[in-house]
Amino acid sequence: MKNKHRAAIGLFLSVLWISSSLNAQSLNLSGYVRNGTGVLTQGDHAYSMLQNTLSLNLEHSRGNVAFKANPYLYHYSDRDLELGLREAYLDIYFDSIDLRIGKQQIIWGKADGVFITDIISPKDLREFLLLDFVEIRIGITALKADYYLGNHTVELVWIPAFTPTRMPEENSIWRATPDFPIQPAFDYSEKEIKETLENSEVFAKYSALTSMIDFEIMAGYAWDDDPTLHTAKTMDPNTHQLTSLLITPRHHRLSLLGGSVSVPAGGFVFRSEGAYYRDKYFQSSDPNLSDGVLKKNYLHVLLGTDYTLWEVKLSAQFIQQAILSYDEQIVQDEFENTMTFLASKDFLRETLRVEWFSYLGLNHRDALIRPRITYNLADGFEIRTGANIFVGSEGKFGQYDDNDMVVAKVKYSF
Amino acid sequence: MTVRTIQILFAIGWIAASPFVSAVSSEETITGLQVIEKVYNRPAGKDMQADLTMTLINSRGDQRVRKIKQFTKDFGEMEKKIMFFVSPADVRNTSFMNWSYDKEGKNDDQWIYLPALKKVKRISSDSKSDYFMGSDFTYDDLGDRHPAEDSHALLQEETVNGEDCYVVESIPKEEEYMYSRTVTWIIKDKWIGLKKAFYDEDEELLKILTVKNYEKIKGYWIILQTEMHNVQKDHRTKMELENVIIDSGIPDNKFTERMMRRGLK
Repeated sequence: MKNKHRAAIGLFLSVLWISSSLNAQSLNLSGYVRNGTGVLTQGDHAYSMLQNTLSLNLEHSRGNVAFKANPYLYHYSDRDLELGLREAYLDIYFDSIDLRIGKQQIIWGKADGVFITDIISPKDLREFLLLDFVEIRIGITALKADYYLGNHTVELVWIPAFTPTRMPEENSIWRATPDFPIQPAFDYSEKEIKETLENSEVFAKYSALTSMIDFEIMAGYAWDDDPTLHTAKTMDPNTHQLTSLLITPRHHRLSLLGGSVSVPAGGFVFRSEGAYYRDKYFQSSDPNLSDGVLKKNYLHVLLGTDYTLWEVKLSAQFIQQAILSYDEQIVQDEFENTMTFLASKDFLRETLRVEWFSYLGLNHRDALIRPRITYNLADGFEIRTGANIFVGSEGKFGQYDDNDMVVAKVKYSF
Repeated sequence: MTVRTIQILFAIGWIAASPFVSAVSSEETITGLQVIEKVYNRPAGKDMQADLTMTLINSRGDQRVRKIKQFTKDFGEMEKKIMFFVSPADVRNTSFMNWSYDKEGKNDDQWIYLPALKKVKRISSDSKSDYFMGSDFTYDDLGDRHPAEDSHALLQEETVNGEDCYVVESIPKEEEYMYSRTVTWIIKDKWIGLKKAFYDEDEELLKILTVKNYEKIKGYWIILQTEMHNVQKDHRTKMELENVIIDSGIPDNKFTERMMRRGLK
């Protein structure tokens, strides 16, 4: 571990040295240092988070080429130092075409805090959905080509190697435990996707930004970022009792077609986004199924609006996930409805922001409520305090009912 | 709008053009509306780029500085503007694009690119009474207010800082507007608004805009330094334009989503 620390610190010092050496050649160095502390409000008030972060952005451009690298360092009190590279890519600009090659975050769609057509960059869910969105998206190695005609854009993305969702670790408070009748055994031998050309992912998007409407139409041939848990059961032939369960996580191919629009109307901005997923796998409780899963087509849609009333920025979204040709044995509901609400207001000449964001799960009557206050003590220096309150006993948010917490963050940007 | 938008970032970049001056039948009979219309319709450059520094100063003298690089271009019946935020560090690489239209009643189209979200978001342009980046300028102060939106009266003529000025009172036709009236001092031979007083809904003096420096660049009078003073809160915002370049032939594709994402590279 000490060696890891030394390597990480050595690398960062090298980055800083290179930065200062190249400064004369207009290397742009920016980033932030942040401390985050979270305390659970229940039980023995354990720390939910004790994290120090250093994130650097190194950017340089010369003529029609540019690069960006975003190394980051997470320091925890109870975990190994984590050194990562969120992005590291090269840009080449032509008259009507831009190419981006390397590790990058690609974000599509008009939804806020909901992932519908925004599935290119997989998610880091180690802290559930509580990280800043730029930290939830995992950078992926890709070739991205954009062709521009005025305010119309055609974008093609090729991802040579699959990256799955990063799930919470074994002992994490965010680790969701599926409800099995007996203790299962796991076989992870089929979880990896071999890095071959055949296993690459491709996405395409046509988008336009016009006075009347902004829209995107997209299609993708991808892998499901979340593994399907194939379940093999062994029954006692005499008692017909379940004697063993073997869970085999496996990623499956997925194709999707989707789009999003954003339309201004008076003081409102209306947004919508939707995607049709073909061949998505769902868990089933049907005892006759050999591996406990069913393949179905699936719709994920959103309607939302933004409005400002008495200088309070308001936003509401309704989201529905619908499994087509539904089978009653599927564990997930046929229709799963969620809403989000955001209200925020700035005070003291935009140095103080009071914000309220919430997810509401309508099926399970659960919720995640996130009030927070951010104060800019000086330019680029902010103090944030808030809470993450989980309501309910089941559902996506209710399952974390014991994880209510208060959080404080201090961040210096440079 | 044309280059005017950036000039109006100084809250009234009243720049006159001599052809319009001569179009007036007689200075003695000029009305308040004519003064404002001629200023509104003044010719200006086809495009403009500049570095804008905005300094916010509170009653204790504490300062906060915002730096912006901006580009504006006239597309005939519409004007496009794109702004790139340079500092402070926590807003760096944020960009804002505005398309405004000559057609009366047509709202501006606005988008913002937030690097933290890596998304270009359309935003409503309806909140014109909101203050811009915590400054003393509202979005409407910075915009291009059509003369037909107010009733104008020429109050008198005065000499300010050695300049002969028309003094015009403008009263909004909209009852719920944030100002009950404004009074503007406009230099006669340059048609620059040298000073403007804003009165709140209770008819109390709220803010005073003062032009500190202006120059003729490529044949156009450009206001380079101005200050808005909120007299009720004793808060000031200074705006300074540097590196002003006019008619450099900014390409049309500067005002696109592509450039919002790319930034100043």
